[in-house]
Amino acid sequence: MVKDYSKYVILFITLITVQLLVFNNIQFSGYVNPYVYVLFILLLPYKISGWVLLVLGFITGFSIDAFNNTLGMHSSATLLMAFVRPYVLNRFASRDNSDKTGIPNIANNGFNWFVQYTILMVLIHHFALFYLEAFTFSHFFVTLGRTLLSTIFSSAVIILSQFFVFRN
Amino acid sequence: MNSLIRFLSRYQYVLLFLVLEGTSLWLLAANGHYQRAFFGSFVRSISGFVYSQTDKLDQYLELRQSNLNLAAENITLRNEVARLSYALNEYEHSPRIDSLNGVKYKFIKAKLVNNSVNKQHNFLTLNVGKKHGIEPEMGVISNNGVVGIVAAVSENYCTVISLLNIDLKISAKLQRTGYFGSLYWDGVNYRQVVLSDIPQHVQLTAGDTVVTSGYSAIFPPNIPLGIVEEFSNTGGNFFTVKVNLISDFKRLDYVTVIQNIQDEERFTLENTDKNG
Repeated sequence: MVKDYSKYVILFITLITVQLLVFNNIQFSGYVNPYVYVLFILLLPYKISGWVLLVLGFITGFSIDAFNNTLGMHSSATLLMAFVRPYVLNRFASRDNSDKTGIPNIANNGFNWFVQYTILMVLIHHFALFYLEAFTFSHFFVTLGRTLLSTIFSSAVIILSQFFVFRN
Repeated sequence: MNSLIRFLSRYQYVLLFLVLEGTSLWLLAANGHYQRAFFGSFVRSISGFVYSQTDKLDQYLELRQSNLNLAAENITLRNEVARLSYALNEYEHSPRIDSLNGVKYKFIKAKLVNNSVNKQHNFLTLNVGKKHGIEPEMGVISNNGVVGIVAAVSENYCTVISLLNIDLKISAKLQRTGYFGSLYWDGVNYRQVVLSDIPQHVQLTAGDTVVTSGYSAIFPPNIPLGIVEEFSNTGGNFFTVKVNLISDFKRLDYVTVIQNIQDEERFTLENTDKNG
């Protein structure tokens, strides 16, 4: 159990650091801003309590916000993502894993499942994030384009990271 | 009460979500200095350290661009040094007091702020004025010869009638033979002026140097003006001499204004002479 906690602490710090130092600097033509730190919320165990999940979502977003000087933006988006996670997991309940133990990752649920799960969750997060960032609907389709492109890129990075980093 | 508790326990996540989301949106919407200052102080201590570390890496990666910028700046500074040392050299070598022929002249350094060569009545503007002791009728020369005569003076600037003004005539002489005439511009070629009133018996040669005569009290004598190009006697008893100017008026930059200290004395004397 302690080992699990320490694993998540390391994961949290690593993701925040990588996000701030690497992915925040990737901005292809202003349209692609990958936010891969949401992987932390994706990989939280099934059995996590709703309170902890929400608070962790808030804290994760807030950490990014604090460093980006965008108070509230990532917090709200990540919080929303954490809030819908149980519903998404229910919807994507895999037949092989109906008892819902462990972690929702590729090893437990298979590649296709993880891809769908990741893309949906990242899309929710990015949608909230980019529209909060724009804070207007007047450039609706521009923002939508940024959302979709960034979602594709973030999801790709997250899914690839599962093969390279999180082997176990 | 029971139903309230049931309601709360049923919707506890939703409520927590709403509270936290409300907090975030408040932070986002208020977005004021208060929130920034409140959270900023503790975050900045961390982020400051992290970003200063990554900045070291960035600095290394951007060395090439920095080098280019520094090289460009070096060239600018080098040019500046060259320009300033040239100006200093000019300043140190310009005669301050000239006591030739018993006439004292004072020289005042000036810079052109406006110039033209393409009109018939060309004027120049210098960055010196009343404040610097400039008065109308003072002569203006450059290193390569006469430039003109001060026409009007304001507090910080003065207007100079250019030698390239068909209204200006100055007294000039042939250095070799000493015969003098008046020099003026015919308004054709900005590199060429005309020396008239040279008697026909004077031996002229192309290549003779024309200098100021020193009779006018505006210019000291023997300031080089130009080189005789050709001459013709179509004008009757006198030669009309075409003189190539030494100085290129298009490239004038720094000039010297000449103040004749004994001008007043001479003026008084000459007038007394006339009256007497």
